[in-house]
Amino acid sequence: MPSLTKTSNNSTTARERIADLALATVPYLMVIPGLIFVVGVLGYAVFGGFVLSVHATDMFLNKTFVGLQNYISVFNDPRFQASLLRTIVFVVLSITLGIVMSMVFALTLYHVGFARRFFRGMSLVPYFVSGIAAAVMFRFVFTTSGGFVNYVLQQIGLPTAAWLGDPYLAFMVAVLANCWFMVPFATLILLGGLQTVDRDIYDAATIDGASGIQMFFQITIPMIKPMLGVSLIWVSYISFSTFDIIFALTAGGPQRATEVVSMYMYRIAFLQLDFGQGAVLMVVLLSFNTVMSLFYLYYFVLADRRLEKEASP
Amino acid sequence: MATSYVEYRELTKRFGSTQILHGINLQIEESEFVVLVGPSGCGKSTLLRMTAGLETINSGEISIADRVVNRVRAKDRGIAMVFQSYALYPHMTVADNLSFGLKMNKTPLERITKSIASAASILKLSQLLKRLPAQLSGGQRQRVAMGRALVREPEVFLFDEPLSNLDAKLRVGMRAEIKALHQRLKTTTIYVTHDQIEAMTMADRVVVMNDGRIEQVGAPLEIYDRPENLFVADFLGSPAMNLLSGKVVHNDGRMDFELENGIQLPLPDNSALRSDQQIIYGIRPEHVAFTDDDNGLPVNLTLVEPAGWETHLHADLSGISLRLLSVERVGARPGDSARLAVDTSKLHLFDPTTGRRI
Ligand SMILES: Nc1ncnc2c1ncn2[C@@H]1O[C@H](COP(=O)(O)OP(=O)(O)OP(=O)(O)O)[C@@H](O)[C@H]1O
Ligand SMILES: [Mg+2]
Repeated sequence: MPSLTKTSNNSTTARERIADLALATVPYLMVIPGLIFVVGVLGYAVFGGFVLSVHATDMFLNKTFVGLQNYISVFNDPRFQASLLRTIVFVVLSITLGIVMSMVFALTLYHVGFARRFFRGMSLVPYFVSGIAAAVMFRFVFTTSGGFVNYVLQQIGLPTAAWLGDPYLAFMVAVLANCWFMVPFATLILLGGLQTVDRDIYDAATIDGASGIQMFFQITIPMIKPMLGVSLIWVSYISFSTFDIIFALTAGGPQRATEVVSMYMYRIAFLQLDFGQGAVLMVVLLSFNTVMSLFYLYYFVLADRRLEKEASP
Repeated sequence: MATSYVEYRELTKRFGSTQILHGINLQIEESEFVVLVGPSGCGKSTLLRMTAGLETINSGEISIADRVVNRVRAKDRGIAMVFQSYALYPHMTVADNLSFGLKMNKTPLERITKSIASAASILKLSQLLKRLPAQLSGGQRQRVAMGRALVREPEVFLFDEPLSNLDAKLRVGMRAEIKALHQRLKTTTIYVTHDQIEAMTMADRVVVMNDGRIEQVGAPLEIYDRPENLFVADFLGSPAMNLLSGKVVHNDGRMDFELENGIQLPLPDNSALRSDQQIIYGIRPEHVAFTDDDNGLPVNLTLVEPAGWETHLHADLSGISLRLLSVERVGARPGDSARLAVDTSKLHLFDPTTGRRI
């Protein structure tokens, strides 16, 4: 059989070099269409949003440049201020509750091996049925007369409540529904993290005398920090941007108790048809999400000490 | 009273319905360096982890320093363990890795500082204390793992294949260091390995395990020179012992061994043997040599493997394959015919049904 490689000398011919180059560029060539698409669509939307936010529009979408006027009116609107505050409370509660729940579920699944595969399949179901469906289900569960929760409370002789009628309770139900929606995926991310920890490390810590709680806070948490960061990004992104769940659950009520920024944006942009001010709110949400994500990335993923390669001086 | 330091009594272990250890009995003396060897899956790690308190005990007893530890927690057993994967805490510096156990035990800070400094100087880690495990070489990580065991000042060191992730050269170096450390500290040590050379060179006593049972316990050379059964004979030694099956025959008042192909090999006088008795005839490769004698066994060489300091050869004796080992340079090439002589004073004879030494 003739040999495929040149044996006469070691230097490569021009033809071979071109072939090598072609081979090396193929992976990049294959990524480019996707990259252009992603950057194009995202970039267009974001850029278009910024442009829109400094314009006033009328019903026929005629634009007039107004500078920061839209920003000034939005920020001065007490209804916006209230919705922003509400969003921050909503996000903080959702993140706290959501991450604690995800962590508890992930730890449970980590230790109860047999349920793991089943759950992995199940955990994506909420994303198939969409936030609207989740909200509709929560409405059934929390409806004042005939809802499941009140039925159970009644059966065991406890007082019932108007879950979706009372401003505070409705807000809490919205937080719960939001957690129900986002926890499964966050659980998966954390479970993946837990499974990367070498069991020998726990054995070593057991011999070193660490208790369960010490092990959790001093070994587990630091070791899954990158995954914790990713699930925080997910949880806070979902909570900031949540719209469908609240829209279908309470539509912002009662008495605006659940009117978060995304609901307010819907009202401004699609009910009052003020696209300029709507775009301002988009910029607000985008900025919050970006800042939060960068914060998590920096503190959880990039600052992961295990990735440090060079020795400190 | 010379009581043993670590003692296993009828120790058993099951995982689900699979019996992993079948009644282990073993006594280890204070300051002894005991090496557990055996094929993969025979239960070495399981035994070590039970000693450490990382696995439960199904029945039987483990005692350490005259105290039954079955119900004692890992951290209170007076043991320290070095893992094959090192199991360093990746997010902690070397210093924090070393001090983690002491901090968990609420050791006063100044004692921690002193222990770390002394362990670091013994293991040449002083320059590395601020580094993270990811910033260390394999050998350095190995040292940190040992340092972490050292600062616990244990009564018993447990090593589970600590050198198997190191390259050949580093392994030889660390082997000597561990041995030197043992000679200095005299801490009782149980050391698990796959590596026969490690077992032979490091151990005061070797424990050969197979399938959840102890096959033989003894000093390294004692086991090598007098394997008690076929398993040990076959397991220890590289290249492995030649184990030939055949039967005993009488030739005018003399005993010989007849292979299945009719070729006869010499037997020493042994009153335990009967005519026609089936036996396994074991001879180590280094006890088979070339000879000029025309009565030597006629073989064809099939494979010659020069390893530098010795040469491994495979020879064909009318259909039966023999391994031999020569410390001299061999000019022969595959296909050559030669004559071999067996050193009958070095034979190992086994009963093929029980596998026991005759
Ligand atoms: N947690 C476990 N659950 C079920 N079976 C196990 C478990 N741990 C070990 N085993 C089984 O027990 C047997 C002995 O395992 P062990 O790890 O003690 O072997 P070993 O002698 O250390 O092997 P190696 O040399 O490969 O490390 C193996 O058959 C293994 O599959
Ligand atoms: Mg093992």
